[in-house]
Amino acid sequence: MVSETAPLLVAEGLAKGFGSGEGRVEIFRDVSLRVLAGDLLAITGPSGCGKSTLLHLFAGLDTPDAGRVALEGADWAALAPAPRAALRGAGVGFVFQFHHLLPELTAEENVALPLFLAGRPEEVGRREAREVLDRVGLLGRAGAFPRTLSGGERQRVAIARAVVRRPGLLLCDEPTGSLDAAHAARVFDLLASVAKERAGAAIIVTHDPEWARRCATIKLLGEEGLSDVARSAFPAVSGGQTVV
Amino acid sequence: MISYFLARRYLLASRREAQVGVVALAAFLGLALGVAALVVSLALLAGFQTHVRSRLLSETPHLLVTPAGRGVFHDADRVGGRIAEVSGVVSVSPVARGRIWVSMGRDAAPAEVVGREKTKGLVLDVAQARPLGIVPGETVTLVSSRSRLSPLGPIPIVSTMQVTGLAPASTGRRAAEASLPLDEARRLFALGPDGATGYEVFLKDAAHPGKAAAAVAAALGPSVAVTTWEEQNRALVLALRLERFVLFAAVFLIVIVAGLNLAATSAVLAATRAGDAAVLSVLGASPKAVERVFRAAGGGVGVAGTFFGLAIGVAAAFVLGGFGLVPLPAQLYGLGHAPFRVDALDVLVVGILSVLWSFVAAAIPARTAARQPAVEALRGV
Ligand SMILES: Nc1ncnc2c1ncn2[C@@H]1O[C@H](COP(=O)(O)OP(=O)(O)O)[C@@H](O)[C@H]1O
Ligand SMILES: [Mg+2]
Repeated sequence: MVSETAPLLVAEGLAKGFGSGEGRVEIFRDVSLRVLAGDLLAITGPSGCGKSTLLHLFAGLDTPDAGRVALEGADWAALAPAPRAALRGAGVGFVFQFHHLLPELTAEENVALPLFLAGRPEEVGRREAREVLDRVGLLGRAGAFPRTLSGGERQRVAIARAVVRRPGLLLCDEPTGSLDAAHAARVFDLLASVAKERAGAAIIVTHDPEWARRCATIKLLGEEGLSDVARSAFPAVSGGQTVV
Repeated sequence: MISYFLARRYLLASRREAQVGVVALAAFLGLALGVAALVVSLALLAGFQTHVRSRLLSETPHLLVTPAGRGVFHDADRVGGRIAEVSGVVSVSPVARGRIWVSMGRDAAPAEVVGREKTKGLVLDVAQARPLGIVPGETVTLVSSRSRLSPLGPIPIVSTMQVTGLAPASTGRRAAEASLPLDEARRLFALGPDGATGYEVFLKDAAHPGKAAAAVAAALGPSVAVTTWEEQNRALVLALRLERFVLFAAVFLIVIVAGLNLAATSAVLAATRAGDAAVLSVLGASPKAVERVFRAAGGGVGVAGTFFGLAIGVAAAFVLGGFGLVPLPAQLYGLGHAPFRVDALDVLVVGILSVLWSFVAAAIPARTAARQPAVEALRGV
């Protein structure tokens, strides 16, 4: 069945390489992808295969050498810097391997930052930030600075920040990569459920088959583009359940 | 505003951060000192200039009305009366001005003299008395260039007068001038009992003599010339204005150099927070918004430094002036200590220029920082 709804993300024939002349390295080519509302997609592949680079292209942070990316119908390449930033703020949430919280801001302020940048009044921003912090179980730490939080807590704050504006597309780059196994499991479960509630669709990049296996769709990134992988190719290791 | 919110947090945090903290503190102190120096120097200059102007105004008639040609005014011309009717005129008095020889023993020297109604006796300028060795109380002979007819033919008009006093050198506006009673001057210059070479006019509003000058000129027609005190002292008035500008420009250089430290602050901040800049753009900040954050940080230091400097400068000027802490040789300026006068407009202009410059200086590195591609920083962190 073909979905009636317009795709959130369309990527067609993407190619990207770095450097020029002798030192030029082609990372991937011919990457095409359609993401529909409700999708939970894992992109996996060995370290250095270009997963982060691909997410940057999806978020309009970098430009492809070939092909095009459109988010919610808008082609990144056609947008001037200001509307491009506005679309990214409203349409994309980003979770990194490292939390990338601003150390000078409290947890609450970090979560409210996307709202502040969008021009929301301070009171509104703080209130919505506290709601989301409550959702990730950190309301009690709203006034804490990142340096006083544990690794897992920081990553939960980062997740809250990524979904505070209810983005169409949530992009996660090795979101549990910096955590130990126990925390990683908790954070991953939280991420998956929060994504379902507050984001249109989510792409989770990981080189760890354990997490890839829990996503509805799994794609493998190689030099020749994305290929489908059957979930059965990723046997459960530690008994985590699938989130769909 | 989010940019000021973030900039404030950065600067507060910078107290704990060596790189940013040191540069920001240097920028803050440098700017504060520059601004304070500017305020104090301008206050000193304004003090001196006020002093010089008030002395000028006390020595110089606000308007001088003279015949346009070489003629002489007489009562029948009703010039004095017509000037007095012009609005804004407080007083009008006739004067008789000319050149004579002052002779003392065997020596003689030429001298400018002016006769005024109120003058009693002969008052020489020290510059006129010194070459002839004249001291108050001595009697001198004044020899006019005009002559009268005698049975022996034309002989010069002379007058023998006692020197009643010496006037200190004037503010340096023009040649030294001796003064003597009007009637004596009329006799020396053969002006007749009611002649005058000009009228000295004093105004209600001495600071703006132009309007009254125009009104007097209009009332009297083209046969007279009207000059204001500013025109009579054109060179000095111009010099005062130029002095102000030159001082401002010279001392503002300090502020400009200090402002460059703000550029450094903004650059160091941008360099240490490249990762933050990248995160901000991921969260939807446009390059312009990122630029604003770093510019606000540099500019914020500039605003703080400017206000601190203004406060120090104004306080220093009041203390130095109020307690007379800068002594001066009295005979040189006619003042015991340096006068300070804080002009609100000066303070305002210094403040505005310093703040504007701060933001300009901080803008350049902020723009550079905002143009760095976010992906580079994201990969680096
Ligand atoms: N700016 C760059 N210049 C040169 N090579 C780069 C640059 N950015 C990424 N690369 C290279 O591109 C490849 C893919 O990087 P990345 O997308 O981070 O991979 P992954 O996230 O899958 O580990 C790596 O080999 C990396 O070294
Ligand atoms: Mg990566």
